[in-house]
Amino acid sequence: MRSARGWCIALAAVVYGGSPLVGQQAGAAAAHERTEYVAWLTGAPNSPLAAIAQQPIGPGMRLGPADSDVPLEGVDEHRVREQAGAVSLEGPGGRRLLPRGRPVTFGRYTLSVGGPTGRSVLTVFGASPGGKPPEHYPRDPRAVFVGPLAPPARSGTVRVLAVDGVEVEAAEAGSVAVPIGGTSVRLTVRRIPTAGGEESELEIFFRDATNGDGTYPAGRFVSLLPQGAGMYLLDFNRARNPFCAYSSAYPCPAPWRGNTIAAPLRAGERYAGGGLAAPAGLEAR
Amino acid sequence: MRWTPLLLAGLLGASSPPSPAGEWKAVLDLAGGELRFGLRMERNGGGLRGALCNGAKCDQLSAVRQRGDSLVLEMADYAATIGVVIKGDSLTGVYRNVGNRGPRVIPLRASRGRWPAARGPETLLGRWDATYLQDWGTSPRVFQFRNGPAGLEGTVISNTGDYGHFAGQVAGDSFALAHFDGSFVYLLTGVLRGDTLRGVFHAGLRTQTPWIAVRSTGAPHLKPPAEITQADTAAPFRFSFPDLDGKIVSERDPRFRGKVVLVDIFGTWCPTCHDAAPALVRLYRRYHGQGLEIVGLAYEVTGDPDVDRRQVRRYRAKFDIPFPLLLAGINDTDAAAATLPQLRGFTSFPTSIFLGRDGKVRRVHAGFYGPATGAQHERLLRDFEREIERLLLSR
Repeated sequence: MRSARGWCIALAAVVYGGSPLVGQQAGAAAAHERTEYVAWLTGAPNSPLAAIAQQPIGPGMRLGPADSDVPLEGVDEHRVREQAGAVSLEGPGGRRLLPRGRPVTFGRYTLSVGGPTGRSVLTVFGASPGGKPPEHYPRDPRAVFVGPLAPPARSGTVRVLAVDGVEVEAAEAGSVAVPIGGTSVRLTVRRIPTAGGEESELEIFFRDATNGDGTYPAGRFVSLLPQGAGMYLLDFNRARNPFCAYSSAYPCPAPWRGNTIAAPLRAGERYAGGGLAAPAGLEAR
Repeated sequence: MRWTPLLLAGLLGASSPPSPAGEWKAVLDLAGGELRFGLRMERNGGGLRGALCNGAKCDQLSAVRQRGDSLVLEMADYAATIGVVIKGDSLTGVYRNVGNRGPRVIPLRASRGRWPAARGPETLLGRWDATYLQDWGTSPRVFQFRNGPAGLEGTVISNTGDYGHFAGQVAGDSFALAHFDGSFVYLLTGVLRGDTLRGVFHAGLRTQTPWIAVRSTGAPHLKPPAEITQADTAAPFRFSFPDLDGKIVSERDPRFRGKVVLVDIFGTWCPTCHDAAPALVRLYRRYHGQGLEIVGLAYEVTGDPDVDRRQVRRYRAKFDIPFPLLLAGINDTDAAAATLPQLRGFTSFPTSIFLGRDGKVRRVHAGFYGPATGAQHERLLRDFEREIERLLLSR
């Protein structure tokens, strides 16, 4: 490590709180995570590759007939409502609750409720994932860093879209200063809550010089993994696309101010389709 | 050396798979500690059935399947499974469920037996007012602890409800209470020092929230959920930005006066905006003669006017856009919020703002369903058309 407060590349064995973690182990964990993620994308009933609609529930919404909020072929009229934090689905067969954050089978469709209480969002998935499975760059050990998290300039929350296009109250968690491309890049870190529980992830939504030229034009998300003793692992090989890369059912998150890496980061998930090429000015930096 | 017939060797090498029947002390290895729970399995006719236990409270698993030394325990309600390999008196594998943002996978291990019951000391029992120390500040919880048939148990209550049954271990003044139901993965660890409890609330694999708690005085500690921010629709919507020739265009421009205006907040970097652009062009061509104006506000990547202008010109040419496109700023939410102070809670690209003939916001629609969504796309287009027609008829 370069200094106690600096970030360094985790190429070799690095000590986290007295427990040795070898770079290869981190690589194996990331590879396993990637395998699980690709399997989820290509097979899960709520894979974003299968998404056909995402809409705020608001004062209530209708599913089924052609003139409803979400037309679904072969589905009788159903209503989705949020009352006192609970989301329910009501139709000819009766009423049932839609648990937050869990996919629910609905005929040949799958429903999933996300978002915070009072601003719930319903996502509807088709019969099976379509579209292209994701592709990744080969693992690059130089894209793995360890270091501390600096406190935020101002604490508080900000409304942002999470990777799944759902608006959440994200907490300003701080920033990391990472040596990339011969310079130190400071990246904002936010704590993104999950639906319906106490879980959250430390996330960085970043742009780099590969956006629109190998990676998704709008930028990518990467998680910051706590390692204990105030240290964190930042592995850009785990970088992944926002879900609007897979289906236009999802809105695209707005990039976070300042989280632009001038250098190309050829690690993590790639993107082959759509969008304009990255602006020339960005490529040149 | 004598040769052995292959079939006989196969038979000699074969052995019946180990039986998982019985009780298991299971552990989910979270980043910050061990979440302990129980598993029970028993023979059920020709198959197996099982239950997942937090202390004395057990919930039936929806299915238990064994193939050789591999065992899959299903929790269908939560689209979750436990997949383990049984080897002698140990199970090793993972808990996995289908999250909204990806798979959720946590290492799991178990050994035969039952976690010992341990009663909590009187000093720990009762109701505690807890404060979670989170990144953005603090938030209240209430803990309730009691002794049950399997030792110390309790629950955690937030502003919006309780988190179910917790059970676990006690050692002196320290405790670890867990709740794992196949979906929620919660571990509450703490220690009593004097009159104060301190500890960490673990959620899922990685989330760790420190907390501090004092004995409840009986005064209300939890609060109702915060109010939800509403959009400002009272004042005319104001914007003022340069067009692609550098001329400032605002809502006071004569071309917008008395017209229905659709403000399209977009970025050339945003593929969903590319889906929206042809639809907006069609709307413009259909309704412009009746009084519709559209203006695109571009939030671009570099902040360099020359680079961004060039990029927006390419976008305009690609979609043959006949309405004005203005360079509004760079593409982050804070920047957009600063340039459009009347638009509260802006988070997504594209966002469509419908203005009545009086210039006031009538509707804000975040996002756009592209043609790949089929019926949703058609539905949204009809919805936009109806909205525009309604606004064109109003005065």
